[in-house]
Amino acid sequence: MIANVLDGVVLGLQFGLLAAGLTLVYGLGGVLLLSYGQISVVSAIVVLFSMDAGLPTLGAVVVGLLAGALLGLAHDLTVLRPVYRLHGESRVLLSLLLSLGVAFVIDGWLNWRYPLQGLRLRIGSGPIEILGVRMPAGSVVASVITIVTLTALLVFLRTTTLGRAVRSVIQDEEGARMVGIDPNRMLRLILLLSGFLAALVAVTRSMVLPVDVQSGFSITVFALIVTVVGGLGSVSGALLAGIILGIINNVAAAQIGTFMSLVILLLAAAVTILLRPAGLLGVKE
Amino acid sequence: MLEVKGLSAGYQDNDVVHDVSFHVGEGEAVMIIGSNGAGKTTLFKSICGLLSPSTGEVILHGVDTAGLPAQRLVRSGMSFVAAQRHLFPRMTVQENLSLGAYPRRPNPETLSLVMDLFPRLAERRRQHAGTMSGGEQQMLAVGRALMARPKLLVLDEPSTGLAPKLAHEAYQALGVLRKQGLTVLVAEQQVPLALEFSDRGYVLENGLIQLEGSSAELAQNPEVRRAYLGVV
Repeated sequence: MIANVLDGVVLGLQFGLLAAGLTLVYGLGGVLLLSYGQISVVSAIVVLFSMDAGLPTLGAVVVGLLAGALLGLAHDLTVLRPVYRLHGESRVLLSLLLSLGVAFVIDGWLNWRYPLQGLRLRIGSGPIEILGVRMPAGSVVASVITIVTLTALLVFLRTTTLGRAVRSVIQDEEGARMVGIDPNRMLRLILLLSGFLAALVAVTRSMVLPVDVQSGFSITVFALIVTVVGGLGSVSGALLAGIILGIINNVAAAQIGTFMSLVILLLAAAVTILLRPAGLLGVKE
Repeated sequence: MLEVKGLSAGYQDNDVVHDVSFHVGEGEAVMIIGSNGAGKTTLFKSICGLLSPSTGEVILHGVDTAGLPAQRLVRSGMSFVAAQRHLFPRMTVQENLSLGAYPRRPNPETLSLVMDLFPRLAERRRQHAGTMSGGEQQMLAVGRALMARPKLLVLDEPSTGLAPKLAHEAYQALGVLRKQGLTVLVAEQQVPLALEFSDRGYVLENGLIQLEGSSAELAQNPEVRRAYLGVV
């Protein structure tokens, strides 16, 4: 049981990292980025090819993270341009449709060119003992990276002027404009950051399980569920929801069976939304 | 300082204000009075760049700024305090104020100036803006606007949602700012307060400027007295 819970925390931290990018993009710009998982997968493939080209693992990872950030920025510069002209519900819908289109194109291309590729980073040699449970070194390293990244993200958002400017747009876009903050520039920054986070998810995930060409959509779906449960626009909410759902997922998989874990995960998400429509740490409009 | 020429603006092809022209000189306090729905908010939003006017010019310091977004206009020395205030509810008073200085380097002098003007904000600097009373939020909105060190402060109905005593205090604070040389443009439907505060004024009805004059003249005008001062 403790082992299941610990594995759940490892998965949950991944979930939290996944949702952090998506929740910021949505909270900030009303943009639902359904190509998020594909950014992750493309970054994984970039890491893989960089290693094949002879780069050391760390170098390849840096190249992959850069690729993710650039892909996020590319969304801002191309496909999201028409979205920025709309407001409210139509903005969410158009962003959803266009980014879904991007997701299909990337998925199709990856499946056509590199159907059998997958990234798996092997970390360390033996397992590491935590609370009397032997955890694979990869899980521990992945979790440490995730915790450090999420902490850095929260510190950035809470204490720096730029981070506060990002939050101000989430809290009141007109108010932000009135003090001289350009919401579109903040959104560009956050898309760059989200691309980076999506790539980091691919890297840390691959320390636990292989990230293959087909995993794009499931990454997006998990990110969406965690985002909604955590509360749109809340990074700490994403982290909390991620850990709770990660534990629920793994305990359910062990006690009932893997075939039921996704059903139970969705059920938990649905119950949360029924009880707290704005999500765990979300704020009612 | 500010000159508005032939400005029309509205929402989705329906203009709410039509061909409005007025000016605000340096150091003046100018009011736009009018009843609810006269178009004051639409007019102010299009001056401050939250709404694109359909035609007309907004000349600030000799430059036509019509259609420029609000985030640019703050940098030209014009700060806007909206009737809905648009504070950042889940940030502290301190954070709201420091974001007010976003276009510039943080300036401790300006901060202490604002704290002197509104001692209440100093007491509550760690409180979240969303949990404060209407009067305190109004102080914070004005304080946040001042943090950008504007030359021209534009306020849309600063008395909205305030008890008479608090509304009076808000105007007293604006009076202090005027003495320090700030130029003020204010829209108001609580006409007596605005008349007492301002040098000149314009009456906006159904999106058109109907009357203009010094505050003393407007206070004597029979139509103003009947419509806004409750004198029969």
